Amino acid sequence: MIVCVAVVGHQNNPLYIQSFTKGDDSLLRISILNVEGCSYHSLKRHHIVHCSLDVVDERVNNPKKSGLIINETFLGLLNPTENYKVYGYLTNTKVKFILVTTDLEVRDVDARVFFGRFHTAYVDAVSNPFHIPGKKITSRKFAERVSTIVKSFGLSSGG
Amino acid sequence: MATFLPQFQSIKSSFAHIVLSVEDVSDLWPTIKKGFEERLPFKRASLNNKTRNPVLVDELPAEFILTTDARLRSRFPQEQSLFWFREPYATIVLVTCEDLDEFKNILKPRLKLIVQNDDREWFIVYVSKAPAHNDQATKMAKKVFAKLEVDFSSKKRERCCKLDIHGPDPNFWDDLEGKIMECIRNTLDRRILFYEEEIRKLSEQRFMPVWNFCNFFILKESLAFMFEVAHLHEDALREYDELELCYLETVNMAGKQRDFGGMEKGDDQATLLDSGKKALAQIVQDDSFREFEFRQYLFSCQAKLLFKLKRPFEVASRGYSFIISFSGALALHESMLPFCMREVWVITACLALIGATASNYEDGLAAPDVEKEFYRVQGELHTLCHTKFMRLGHLVGYGSDIERSPVNSASLSMLPWPKPAVWPPLPPDASSEVLAKEKMILQESPRLKHFGIQRKPLPLEPSVLLREANRRRASLSAGNMSDLFDGRPRSGDGSGTPSAVQRVSNVSMSRTLSSPGNFDGSIDRPMRLAEIFVAAEHALRNTISDAELWKSLSSVEEFEKKYLDLSKGAANNYHRSWWKRHGVVLDGEIAAVHHKHENYDLAANLYEKVCALYAGEGWENLLAEVLPNLAECQKILSDQAGYLSSCVKLLSLDKGLFLPKERQAFQSEVVRLAHSEMEHPVPLDVSSLITFSSNQGPPLELCDGDPGTLTVALWSGFPDDITLESLSVMLTATNSNDEGAKAIKSSEAIVLMPGRNNITVSLPPQKPGSYVLGALTGQIGQLRFRSHSFSKGGPADTDDFMSFEKPTRPVLKVARPRSLVDLAAAVSSALLMNETQWVGIIVKPINYSLKGAVLHIDTGPGLSIAEKHEIEIEKHEFGANNTDHSDNPPDNHSPVSADVKQLSLEDGKINLPDWTSNITSVLWIPLKAISHGLAEGTPAGTVSQRQSIVDGLRTIALRLDFGVSHNQTFEKTVAVHFTDPFYVTTRVADKCSDGTLLLQVILQSQVKASLTVSDAWLDLQDGFAHTGKGDGRPVSKFFPLIVSSKSRAGILFSICVVDTPAKDGEELDPISVLNIRYTISGDRNLGAHSPVTKELTGPENETDPLTFRSALVLQRPVLDPCFAVGFLPLPSNGLRVGQLVTMKWRVERLKDSGKDVDSDDVDEVLYEVNVNSENWMVAGRKRGYTSLSTKQGSIIVISILCLPLVAGYVRPPQLGLPDVDKANISCNPPGPHLVCVLPPAFSSSYCVPAA
Repeated sequence: MIVCVAVVGHQNNPLYIQSFTKGDDSLLRISILNVEGCSYHSLKRHHIVHCSLDVVDERVNNPKKSGLIINETFLGLLNPTENYKVYGYLTNTKVKFILVTTDLEVRDVDARVFFGRFHTAYVDAVSNPFHIPGKKITSRKFAERVSTIVKSFGLSSGG
Repeated sequence: MATFLPQFQSIKSSFAHIVLSVEDVSDLWPTIKKGFEERLPFKRASLNNKTRNPVLVDELPAEFILTTDARLRSRFPQEQSLFWFREPYATIVLVTCEDLDEFKNILKPRLKLIVQNDDREWFIVYVSKAPAHNDQATKMAKKVFAKLEVDFSSKKRERCCKLDIHGPDPNFWDDLEGKIMECIRNTLDRRILFYEEEIRKLSEQRFMPVWNFCNFFILKESLAFMFEVAHLHEDALREYDELELCYLETVNMAGKQRDFGGMEKGDDQATLLDSGKKALAQIVQDDSFREFEFRQYLFSCQAKLLFKLKRPFEVASRGYSFIISFSGALALHESMLPFCMREVWVITACLALIGATASNYEDGLAAPDVEKEFYRVQGELHTLCHTKFMRLGHLVGYGSDIERSPVNSASLSMLPWPKPAVWPPLPPDASSEVLAKEKMILQESPRLKHFGIQRKPLPLEPSVLLREANRRRASLSAGNMSDLFDGRPRSGDGSGTPSAVQRVSNVSMSRTLSSPGNFDGSIDRPMRLAEIFVAAEHALRNTISDAELWKSLSSVEEFEKKYLDLSKGAANNYHRSWWKRHGVVLDGEIAAVHHKHENYDLAANLYEKVCALYAGEGWENLLAEVLPNLAECQKILSDQAGYLSSCVKLLSLDKGLFLPKERQAFQSEVVRLAHSEMEHPVPLDVSSLITFSSNQGPPLELCDGDPGTLTVALWSGFPDDITLESLSVMLTATNSNDEGAKAIKSSEAIVLMPGRNNITVSLPPQKPGSYVLGALTGQIGQLRFRSHSFSKGGPADTDDFMSFEKPTRPVLKVARPRSLVDLAAAVSSALLMNETQWVGIIVKPINYSLKGAVLHIDTGPGLSIAEKHEIEIEKHEFGANNTDHSDNPPDNHSPVSADVKQLSLEDGKINLPDWTSNITSVLWIPLKAISHGLAEGTPAGTVSQRQSIVDGLRTIALRLDFGVSHNQTFEKTVAVHFTDPFYVTTRVADKCSDGTLLLQVILQSQVKASLTVSDAWLDLQDGFAHTGKGDGRPVSKFFPLIVSSKSRAGILFSICVVDTPAKDGEELDPISVLNIRYTISGDRNLGAHSPVTKELTGPENETDPLTFRSALVLQRPVLDPCFAVGFLPLPSNGLRVGQLVTMKWRVERLKDSGKDVDSDDVDEVLYEVNVNSENWMVAGRKRGYTSLSTKQGSIIVISILCLPLVAGYVRPPQLGLPDVDKANISCNPPGPHLVCVLPPAFSSSYCVPAA
């Protein structure tokens, strides 16, 4: 299950963090601005996303070592821990997408498909003339779209 | 074959080197042993690896063993093939023989027997005992050796070498080493082939039922071990890797239920680096090994090789992966393993790995990026250990001592609780411990954060422990067969029957439930939290065999110590790796511990790092978690500067992160500090809190020197109103760099409301240029703050928007200096002298308001303001000025006069009315120019004795103070020309024969107005008289005579010369005066006009006529001259300073002297040379008498020697005759006014002439 998705700006500043925790059936979205919800549920996700930037930096700074292919946006598995996995994606403009999942069996192709869709949604959101580049994404539409993408995670490729 | 395992183990442990057997045929070994063993270990051995590629081994240890040694004897053939690796790699046959017959008959057959076994690699060392000086013996030895070579060496292979005991050949040892190496290489190759073949055979049977992993293992490890002994570590490692892969495949093969292992005492301590901890024979299970032990064994072998290869970083990284994957395997078998076995194992594994890799690692061993990677893995190991350790601590009740930080929450709350088959029950005699734990729980109080911040603590538990433990205890987890099975017997009697225990232990719980008395019947009642803690503690005590680890869990203090150690270890390692964020975040954990223990100094330092990290990248949510802690430390440490800055940072964080009440608390702290007596007042940066921008719209535009009012929009991020004691806005000129920013201060205290505020500041005059807002400074209480945030250009609803890219917009533009107003005389033509006239001053604003302008009027000498009259002002119309109807008095004076306003003069100042502020207006000032002298008439035809214009020129100094605050001044001096109405010239029109003279007086109008002469008369001077009736008036019927502008009129007077009796004591009246009565009709817009009177209401023609008087000098005919003085020409070579020159004058008597003539007809004439003594030096008498004949035409020449003193044009000396009236001297030819004197010739004092 995806527990968190995030967009991190080129200066490593958080642009969008959405946590998902399992409700009854639906995904419960927690606003990043909500005081209680934030500290209770998503602060640790903030931490996970923030620390995963270390890995992104490492990969970007040592492309040879990490075997990063030029023009490859998908960074793959960033941080395998015992209980969750972090996947990363880096756009040409150094905007990072982070995916935190508790599924321990995630196929790379699923992650790639997910990031591809997420990237498209992001591009649409920042193309909004009222969006200020470098600022947090507050678009409700984007949030809804992300929720849809998250729900369909792993379904597209038959997973 | 599995039965060979113990033997294999013992062989491995006793066998450490390659063995070289020595067949000592002639009992030589004791003699030469020393020399042989000195060669060990072999340097630079060349061996072939598994792929038959040569490998250079730097150091190859070996051992020489006699074939008679017990270690090489009594081996069974099967053992020999299985453990072939331990067999000798070369056989060295030592022989000596000094006799050919002996060789042929005894030695050769024996040697043949020895070397017939082809499996062995052998060679012969012939030892010659012949002394060097004994030629006979030496020859014999050579012969025997030659024979030996013929018999045993072949073309392909040299198998003999010769050692002279009494003088060894230096090449012998190299030869020997080469032969040994050849043997080893060949043996090794052959054995590798053998093992490979065997392994291949076994591998082919892998999927058959007869497959036995143990056999495979023995072969594979034998090969690996052989490589290891031969120092081919890479190959050995590869064998172990293959073995591991093969094993994992075997383990994962479905269908076979195997015992996992890990149930024995001490198994909780990881043996991943200690291969000898458990004998392999102990872990054999059927045809394979128990996974728990065997995987650790394999890893330990790999680690050992990697350490030998000096690759500790690889051990660390492989070890971390191994621990993670092994932890997963433990999780699969968790229900059968002792309680928390997995966690304990991970902790011990991590600690062991950390210790071993760190001690084997030396800085600089690897490339920098490998080094960073190594430290990262070390950090990861520490973190993993830390997490598991926290979990154990939490289970035994130290949860309240674990900082509920995001990092701990992330690692713990996503880590599931241990899943034992049955939650450990409470031991029977634990009531006192339960009480103690309960007390501990009760004493727990959620630590209140500073500023009264209350948050629901972050979770450290994946789910509620109470529920989880009780659920597992109550065996309600459906599907878990062992749980269901467990539940039943205990629900029966609560103590558990021996059979039940037996069955349970058969399944899984061999250790945890080893004491049957545990079942205390508490199943009816859910366990309380304290009981869960105590139960877990007891269970853990059974699980943990490591005394050190148990000690760390035995008390809160020990727990914290270990917790801190692990955190520090992780942080320090991360700091040395790429993962700086991980390190800094863990620093935050360390800080929390210090904070709790009131080591505020250390805590503050670490917190600062964390805050800097989060703030630098804008992770406000995380920052909001740490910053209050930092603030608290700073407050306690009395770090006022830091505390203030923290408070400001807290206030500038996203509003949603704190409750309004909390934000108010931050603000009140700032205000409290600001108004307290700070020891060291600090400047405070509030850029993030108070932002500012210019208002929307175009920038304020000002003229040079004008003050203005600037409106600045301020956004306050404070939750409440805040009073700023002062506020200054810095203005920075964009066009010049040389000038620093200029502070514009707001004069009064300002109360800022939350959100947008408009502040106006008064702006003193600025230099021309364009200005942007620089920084904002001000004071809150005693505190000076500063904000240099960028201007916000966005609308108010994007308050938080702060664009870094937008160029700053100019807020003020000050125009370059230009003329803002002009003052000019309205009329250029002359006005009437000695009469009060309107002088018009045009006040013309040039796109600038003259509101409130004050005009200072200062009249020059000879000009006065008629103060009785009001000053008038009217709108200026350009058309009125252009009309040039000077002849006709313009009637259109009235259209503008409708707007004429009266003004009064106060202390030389006039306040201009507001309606004139933007229009050109004319100010009419009644002025009177006074000229005391009479106008002088001149004889017609004389050269320019006309009255000078300068005489009639008067100036008015004007100063206009205007501008917004009378800051602008315009000064101008206006010249006004006054003149008499007429210019009078006279001429004698005719000399009548009767002595009557017709004097014509010509009147030239000098004003741009029409003059009407109503009367004129002439008061004659003495010596003249009017002819006729004698009142001196012309015929009156010509009057009024109208003289229009620029025209002339003439009046004839008939006069005659009369002799005037000389009156003693009375001066003769020297001048005649012409009196003219006239009126003037003119327009003040054009020039002269009728004088200003008190009553202006009457028509112009009713005004009193004016009188103009002009002096005329009538001259009687003069006498003829008596002397002529002529200046004789100067020498043609010019005058030069320092050169004497003779000035000559010719004096001629023009007519006979009237005096009585002396007999000698000579008259003394007084002469005098007038000279400026600064320019000339006169040699001789300046003054004296000279003789001149009294006859007409007599001439003398007066010569004076003069010396010019200065160069340039100077006035020459003049000759005068003081005794003779000037009227009687004519100057003919006249002397020059100026003469040119050249500078002195260059001095040639020091120049010797060439000749």
